[in-house]
Amino acid sequence: MNNKQKLIQWLQETSFREVTLSVDFIVTGYISYFYLSQLLNATPEQLASIEWLSTVLLEVIVYSIVLMVVSYIALAFISDDELSRPMDVREKQINLVGYKYSAIILQVGVVLALFQYNIAAQDFEFMQSSVPHLPLHILVGAFLAAELAHYGVQLYKGRSGDIYE
Amino acid sequence: MSKPDDNKIGISNSIRTLRFLNNEMTQKQLAEHIGVTRQTVMAIESNKYSPTLEVAFKIAEVFNLPLDKVFSYRSDK
Repeated sequence: MNNKQKLIQWLQETSFREVTLSVDFIVTGYISYFYLSQLLNATPEQLASIEWLSTVLLEVIVYSIVLMVVSYIALAFISDDELSRPMDVREKQINLVGYKYSAIILQVGVVLALFQYNIAAQDFEFMQSSVPHLPLHILVGAFLAAELAHYGVQLYKGRSGDIYE
Repeated sequence: MSKPDDNKIGISNSIRTLRFLNNEMTQKQLAEHIGVTRQTVMAIESNKYSPTLEVAFKIAEVFNLPLDKVFSYRSDK
């Protein structure tokens, strides 16, 4: 079996829900990359500027909406009636496992952001950060990581078949 | 007809064999009969997922067999 046949077989084995999850994962990955690259390429003045930061966050939101809408329209053209069917029990369980990991990452992110905010507010000597608005970046980063985990875990559990471990 | 694999600990099944004996029914056809996705049938067949009681009864009904001819349980005791 050559690579082309393997690819065709793999595509035939792939459910439309997996394709949708993969697209969501890729879109979220691209948005995370965009946000990180904006932060890494920013000057210290830009990082300190609340106007610049709000512009970046607005861009992230606009890109998210546009990419999600475009991808869902594209997916709607190739979809059979699979998405109109309700999820079966196993898929619901996999969805919940995805939410579990997502919730853990969000909780850790919120706690870290609160911790960092208190450090900055109390003006402690240790663990001082040179990045302005760091708690906000931690929150956004945790949100994006949680979304990636939500989609990634569902893809992994759905493909491996084993949802109990 | 083969019996469910009695050597394994936990729930095992003979769905793959039963599909073959029923006019080589595909996983997709079985999935449509019992109202789950093909991925779920694959997971049940490979013993990576234990179906709900309702789905187990539906599978047995498709093959027109009692439940214990399709599924078996073996504990480690």
